[in-house]
Amino acid sequence: MDEKNKLPELVEIQPVQDSYRWVAITAMLLAIGIILHTVSPNVGGVTPNWTIAMYSIVINLTNPKLSQAAGIGFIAGLTLVPSSKSAFPLGNLVSDFAGATVCCILVKAMIFAGLGRWRLRPLITGFLATVTSGGVFTLILKFILGLPWTAWLYGMLPVVIVVGILNGLICFFLYAPVRRLFYVQEEDEK
Amino acid sequence: MMDGVIRIEDFYFAYKRSGIVLNNINLAVRKGSFTVITGPSGAGKTTLCKAMTGIIPYYMGGRYSGDVKILGETTKCRRISDIAMRVGFIMEDYESQLISLTAGEEVSFSLLNHGFSPSEIDARVKRALEDVGLPGRKNYQLDELSGGQKQRLLLATVLAVHPEIIVLDEPASALDPDGAIALYKQVSDIHKRYGTTIVTVEHRMDYMLPYVTDMIVLKEGNLVAVDAFQAAAGEMYKDGELRMLLPSLWQVKFGLEEKTGISFGEWRSEEEAICELKKYNFTGEG
Repeated sequence: MDEKNKLPELVEIQPVQDSYRWVAITAMLLAIGIILHTVSPNVGGVTPNWTIAMYSIVINLTNPKLSQAAGIGFIAGLTLVPSSKSAFPLGNLVSDFAGATVCCILVKAMIFAGLGRWRLRPLITGFLATVTSGGVFTLILKFILGLPWTAWLYGMLPVVIVVGILNGLICFFLYAPVRRLFYVQEEDEK
Repeated sequence: MMDGVIRIEDFYFAYKRSGIVLNNINLAVRKGSFTVITGPSGAGKTTLCKAMTGIIPYYMGGRYSGDVKILGETTKCRRISDIAMRVGFIMEDYESQLISLTAGEEVSFSLLNHGFSPSEIDARVKRALEDVGLPGRKNYQLDELSGGQKQRLLLATVLAVHPEIIVLDEPASALDPDGAIALYKQVSDIHKRYGTTIVTVEHRMDYMLPYVTDMIVLKEGNLVAVDAFQAAAGEMYKDGELRMLLPSLWQVKFGLEEKTGISFGEWRSEEEAICELKKYNFTGEG
């Protein structure tokens, strides 16, 4: 059929994004993150922070408002408080709030800059969200425990960066399958 | 057939990254009919089902022209949850529609979301489970139910909201022949008992031959026929590819009509066919 000659003008409409869809996806991925956080072995003092990785993926997927991202971070921090073995578990509330907010700002900036479809977006945002969250958390610990700056700079930050790299890789490898499983509309089906 | 509970007018649809999937569809589904949508693979049957339930184009997005009216109201800008109170939809992948732990929770889910009172929900759940032949299974875990029972449970979830129309997308695709026959018997009982309009996608039409009243035939996104079953089946028989989708009994019927010039009745079962053939002294020999 000669479509151009016979078809009327078609109206293009975007799929409806359910108002609460992002909540469901966030809850599901945070729950997965908590489970993985609990069962992941500690190798050489380093273990990926699955919770941060999961909310980074969620923020990359749903591009929420800044206030929503802050809420995601706060809830994620709250889930970590009961199981935290650190000297100051409540620090998670602040650190993950900061991590999720930074992740959201980065995602919005990248989309604004035309990098919304860039494959490395989850890797970079996941890495920087983890470094922000870890940096804030260890900074709080440094003040609470009265540690010297050198201990924070040379003892804690390198570990945070290693965890950041691990998380960035997790985000990179899991983003596409998670998007396909939970988020993509059936736009190509017949 | 332009007066109907579902009316589709000058409707074109393409998914975001596809060619035209439905091309200039004009049809009406009669109130109280048992309508089958059929056609070869890729004809646009599932897409048409989704258009009839408002999922397309306003929920899934895409490119469209024309209008779909359900019970006189356009689906434009209407929420899926509101449409679902009047049109029940059972998808081909029925497992993906089951979300609760027990049969009772599954049936009551949509009622709870629409704010029905607990007593009303209890009554409707009980009635819906009885209607589909699952009485007393309210507290059964979903994994205690067989595939056929899960299909029937899904039918109960749809029935519980008392929709005027039920749309089923290949409901028997995962069932064995006995299961498929039993499911369509159940659907037919509901159709007769409540006068619910049934629209079902099916390419194995033998199972539903006793019940179907109207037929919509699609091919490559185009409407080939929309009519009473006998007339639409005649149109299908003219097309070599579509002919194979007719119930085997009707392929025989049309074949004999071609050879003998006799016009047979509307065979709905083998018994009816045998009875009529005997009248014409067909012995099955030579």
